[in-house]
Amino acid sequence: MEALQCWIQGFSVATLPINLLYAFIGCVLGTLIGVLPGLGPAAGTAILIPITFNLDPIGAIIMLAAIYYGAMYGGTITSVLVNVPGEAASVITCLDGYQMAKKGRAGPALGIAAIGSFIGGTFATFALMVVSLPLADFALKFGPPEVFALLVVGLSLVTGLSGRSILAALLMTLFGLMLAMIGMDPVRGAPRFTLGIPPLYDGVGFVPVVMGLFGVGEILLSMESPVVEVIKTKISDLFPKKEEWRVSAAAIGRGTLIGFFLGLIPGVGAIIPTFVAYVVEKKVSKHPEKFGTGVIEGVASPETANNSYANGAMIPLLTLGIPGSPTLAVLMGAFIIHGLTPGPFLFKERPDVVWGLIASFYLGNIILLILNLPLVGFWAKLLEIRYQYLYPGILLFCILGAYSLNQSIFDVGVMVVFGVLGYIFRKIDWPLAPTILALILGPMMERALRTSLEMSGGDLSILVTRPISAVLLIIAVIVLISPAIRLIGQKAGKD
Amino acid sequence: MKKAWQIACIVSIITGIIMLVSSFAYPYKDRLGPGPGFFPFWLSLIVIVLSLALFLQTTFSKAPPYGSGSPLPNQIGAKSILIILIAMAICTGLIEFLGFRISLFLFLFFLPFFLGARSLVINLIFALIGSFGVFHVFYYWLKVPLPMGILGL
Repeated sequence: MEALQCWIQGFSVATLPINLLYAFIGCVLGTLIGVLPGLGPAAGTAILIPITFNLDPIGAIIMLAAIYYGAMYGGTITSVLVNVPGEAASVITCLDGYQMAKKGRAGPALGIAAIGSFIGGTFATFALMVVSLPLADFALKFGPPEVFALLVVGLSLVTGLSGRSILAALLMTLFGLMLAMIGMDPVRGAPRFTLGIPPLYDGVGFVPVVMGLFGVGEILLSMESPVVEVIKTKISDLFPKKEEWRVSAAAIGRGTLIGFFLGLIPGVGAIIPTFVAYVVEKKVSKHPEKFGTGVIEGVASPETANNSYANGAMIPLLTLGIPGSPTLAVLMGAFIIHGLTPGPFLFKERPDVVWGLIASFYLGNIILLILNLPLVGFWAKLLEIRYQYLYPGILLFCILGAYSLNQSIFDVGVMVVFGVLGYIFRKIDWPLAPTILALILGPMMERALRTSLEMSGGDLSILVTRPISAVLLIIAVIVLISPAIRLIGQKAGKD
Repeated sequence: MKKAWQIACIVSIITGIIMLVSSFAYPYKDRLGPGPGFFPFWLSLIVIVLSLALFLQTTFSKAPPYGSGSPLPNQIGAKSILIILIAMAICTGLIEFLGFRISLFLFLFFLPFFLGARSLVINLIFALIGSFGVFHVFYYWLKVPLPMGILGL
């Protein structure tokens, strides 16, 4: 009964005309960010935070969340028409989507992606509504040791699943934690590692860091091959053929479940669900050899998983306060900027925000379906903007976003420095996502650990004698040592 | 790529050592429990150990962790990257002095030009919209404070 009341409250908030407008603007901006190569959802969401400064918190969060899942839709268009993913989660869509476009079937590829995304996103939102309340109630039982263990699991997952080397990924996580040490000590309030620079008393801002690593860094990398070739094809007949519907329906179902369940695991990120969905689809297919040549289920499943994941991943963020990807970390930062802390207490303190946001996902998915199907030709036109104007335009918004956060030129400098670092790390293939998550979770993690040790009088066994934290820490250890176990297994197999 | 990974590891070790030494300036323990120096101490120690492990793996492992690509930008990329970084550095330096509108106007006019867009009319329109237009939307409509500079622009 309580859940039903919450849902009604959510819809009454989300359907307010002003909030519908914010959701619409967010969807448009998100699709734009997804479409434009060189601007991913993390940097895109961060750049647009200043737009929301003077909005009320509910409207601001609805708009920023719409930007997040809108970008997931938009990325598909670039993957299909240019063979370059508009955002990382659409990488796998390039394989069959681009081949379909080359055969003159870009329309059905984009159509099925939009429909699959709608179904996946809507299902995940429904599941989010059902699951979040009991999960938030359960999370209220967590003390500092459990919170610490949970954060360790989140960071272990994002570390264990990133990049080619677990050691490099661990170092990137620790780099983020080191950055998080700069500023005020989260327990005692004493300044640390500030080098006497006043802006550093507030710490290294995560927004300039995200813009630098994911925005400026990406643009610098794009400059090595800046010209993209858009397939000249008429985008008509967005609906697939009857036979294609049959195979797509099953693919959409599987993609929905894969995306949603992987979204529940903090740290998985948006790319893995799409790859898993694609691999599963290939495995169950009667003609796996045709994958990569332009089969529609090769587009339907990963694109569905992508959006199902996007909405499913809101569960750990909203109920536990743990962002599962850099974009969700940005969204969490936006919550904090607007005076809201994601986590179980938010369900008690501001149910209007939580349920209004969740209900807005339904409406956002409908808006995106409307935006994507009839306007796909318009979005495709945007891909023809010359890079000489596109990239300076994106940099303009990076500078604007970084400056306006604290009216600080120092933050713009931080963004530029992290842009260079982002470029270098991409070139040497060290993952960036762990750094962002560690930067935002670092203070929470330190606070939880130190408070736990205060509770136990300095005895570390408090982390392993409480059942929930013990189980969580075991999971973290398994995640971190699993690459080594796999390696040993492979060697043993060879021998 | 091997050299790039080795350099990254060495930088990481040095950063860890600096943080470790700096962490001694903060109390490791206080009356209530772990102090402000506790977390940075262990963190930097782990960074040093892991960086060393990755350095050794990179240098001696038969299955190196790094990929095969080159860490250096190609010739076209290097020039454009340098142009963008110089433009951003100049813009950052000027923004509070000249104000958002003037500095961003210069940024948006000259950056496309140096990246190869030589149509002065289009560059001018682009720069005007991107600087004065964007300023108007953010400053007056969205009430986002932006620097005016010494000219009040």
